[in-house]
Amino acid sequence: MDLAFTPEEQQFREDIRAWVLANLPADISHKVHHALRLSKDDLQRWARILGQKGWLGHGWSKAFGGPGWNAVQKHLFEEECALAGAPRVVPFGPVMVAPVIMAFGNAEQQQRFLPGIASGEVWWSQGYSEPGSGSDLASVKCKAERQGDHYIVNGQKTWTTLGQYGDWIFCLVRTSTEGKPQTGISFLLIDMKSPGVTVRPIVLLDGEAEVNEVWFDNVQVPANNLIGEENKGWTYAKYLLGHERTNIADVNRTKRELERLKRVAKAEGMYEEPRFRDEIAKLEVDVVALEMLVLRVLSAEKTGKNSLDIAGLLKIRGSEIQQRYAELMMLAGGPFSLPFIAEAMDAGWQGDQVHGGLGGMGGFPGGALHCAPLASTYFNMRKTTIYGGSNEVQRNIVAQTVLG
Amino acid sequence: MDFDFSDDQQQLGDAVQKWVAKGYDFERRRSIVRAGGFSHESYTELAELGLCGLYIPEAQGGMGMGPVEGMVAMQALGYGLVLEPLAQTLLAGAVLNAWAPEALKTAWLERIASGQALVVLAHQERAARYRLDLCGALATESKNEGGWQISGSKSVVPAGDQADAFLVPAMAHGRLALFLVERTAPGVSTRGYGTQDGSRAAELQISGAAATLVTTDGLAALEHAVDIGLAAACAEAVGVMDRTLAITVDYMNQRKQFGVAISSFQALRHRVADIKMQLELARSMSYYASLKLNAPAPERRAAMARAKYQLGQSMRFVGQQAVQLHGGIGVTDEYIVSHCFKKLTQLEMTFGDSLHQLGEVSARMQDTAGVFA
Repeated sequence: MDLAFTPEEQQFREDIRAWVLANLPADISHKVHHALRLSKDDLQRWARILGQKGWLGHGWSKAFGGPGWNAVQKHLFEEECALAGAPRVVPFGPVMVAPVIMAFGNAEQQQRFLPGIASGEVWWSQGYSEPGSGSDLASVKCKAERQGDHYIVNGQKTWTTLGQYGDWIFCLVRTSTEGKPQTGISFLLIDMKSPGVTVRPIVLLDGEAEVNEVWFDNVQVPANNLIGEENKGWTYAKYLLGHERTNIADVNRTKRELERLKRVAKAEGMYEEPRFRDEIAKLEVDVVALEMLVLRVLSAEKTGKNSLDIAGLLKIRGSEIQQRYAELMMLAGGPFSLPFIAEAMDAGWQGDQVHGGLGGMGGFPGGALHCAPLASTYFNMRKTTIYGGSNEVQRNIVAQTVLG
Repeated sequence: MDFDFSDDQQQLGDAVQKWVAKGYDFERRRSIVRAGGFSHESYTELAELGLCGLYIPEAQGGMGMGPVEGMVAMQALGYGLVLEPLAQTLLAGAVLNAWAPEALKTAWLERIASGQALVVLAHQERAARYRLDLCGALATESKNEGGWQISGSKSVVPAGDQADAFLVPAMAHGRLALFLVERTAPGVSTRGYGTQDGSRAAELQISGAAATLVTTDGLAALEHAVDIGLAAACAEAVGVMDRTLAITVDYMNQRKQFGVAISSFQALRHRVADIKMQLELARSMSYYASLKLNAPAPERRAAMARAKYQLGQSMRFVGQQAVQLHGGIGVTDEYIVSHCFKKLTQLEMTFGDSLHQLGEVSARMQDTAGVFA
């Protein structure tokens, strides 16, 4: 038993740190460190930089052109990226659909889809949830009927994150209504430029359109876009959900945000206020405990020695902590978290020009520009205990492992 | 970075678990509680397992092992709700070995390792509560060279009227120093009593009794002692919580209400998931505490505070909710779960409760965050 990373692992971390420092554009990390709005271009620029290095699919094996890192190396890579202020890699391509294509797709599909994912050129979206299928995902109704060489897809997906940028979407579609709901689902890759696909952004409580509704109206999808076998999609979806389990705790980003919370609290004169400081101290313990939990899972994955039934806890705890740091940051801002000036969340905002811009009365109220995104982030973070299997569903799963 | 136990560590844990299962069942424990909360016979059995000398070098009759072995042993003892204070023995052995002059080591370490002598930390005073830097006991140097005399009183000393000697912090020339005081020395008196968890403690009155200096660097040595105690308490708590959850799961799968096992109710199932969460966070932080026990003092102190804060939160939640999930039977003396709850409560308040530890975490907070910060 040893808490320290090995010298090799530490060297690996140093190498990653140096590379990220040299390659992460400063304008992007500035936005991340200040929770400013990231554009599609920002996300894609970073994805392409990683892609050129062969690290966008940083979890990929060497056989598929990835670096072939073990669980600890992947963790260190993610941590160094997060702490340096890199945007989170949009996971739908490299983290979610790619492993499914590798495990269950055929050679032709692998050659057709993986290069575009690895390079960051092709933007993937996830077509899982439907208006009637949230936590009960196996109830999906979006229908795909086989007609010759094609499937005809009709139905609706929703909560499609950043789907407005999507080139392709991987969908769970219903190909059979016989037997249990799980047995009639297939895993289909759909070109979002196909006729009949309509994407409509959904404005969320923070005023941003982070998610979308996607409609399919008699969309023709070539049958060779089916992954694996028809009606086996549920198996593949579960494989996907089981993949990268530690990632969902997002402890690396949380460490960065805890540091930011301390900076915000200092700037707002709240760091020395004992009641507020103690709340930060509690969160700090929560973060250390979560990180230890993550490290235990990683260690088990690395050695394959002991099996751990605690991975399911990571999503619950990680999401609760994300919500808490966002909440505390908003509270640190206090009254200056309340003004809703959407443009102030853009980098380089020059203030309200009618009132003299940043130099005059046109600045952020109270001169507290860093408070501009705090409430929006707080509101946005409510999603974390809902998505990816709501925390109540996660508790069902944990209880099942404990109680039977 | 590796959280696997070595084969030797695994074997040590198995041996202690086996002793607990065979030799320390609930009935035996109950009879020890009735007899006052400390059994010399049980303590001797711990010594026979080698546990009393875990942190004492082999040359002094010990096992020369480290914090992970200590954690493994304490966790197994926690599972058995063992009353005899091995944590005290671990810290006494390690502190004497690290800080005491050779003569004192020679006089005590072998006897501690063999279980012949029980040495415990007597540091708590009414005015200091959990603080380590406040001390009312006074030490004066005798005219004859090397001799000291101590006057003061210490409270809630574990197994205080059963111990052979005490590690006693006292102010010497205006500075905290650590001494060893024998219980049978003239001027030493104890009054023993039971504590809430069924174990034993005592008030200790020292009136001009002869004392042997362990170190003049008393605060550092006391912090070292308490940190060993904290890591041990964390591990012990994980064992108690493992037992508590196991008992609760069994009960929920057997107990029927409204015609079905109560384990089928979602409100209760979610509570169990929350207990599992608290238990695993606690286990993670118990690992953290033990793996930081040999770190430089400031880093070690900060780590112990973080760990004990988490453990305190977990213990309170797991204890309270286990009782709740049992319903009426949970608040009886007859059934074991109330004893788990009381043990967890007492452990939370041992070596600093959650509020105290939160204050420590808060005071030591850095700009960075995380395990490696």
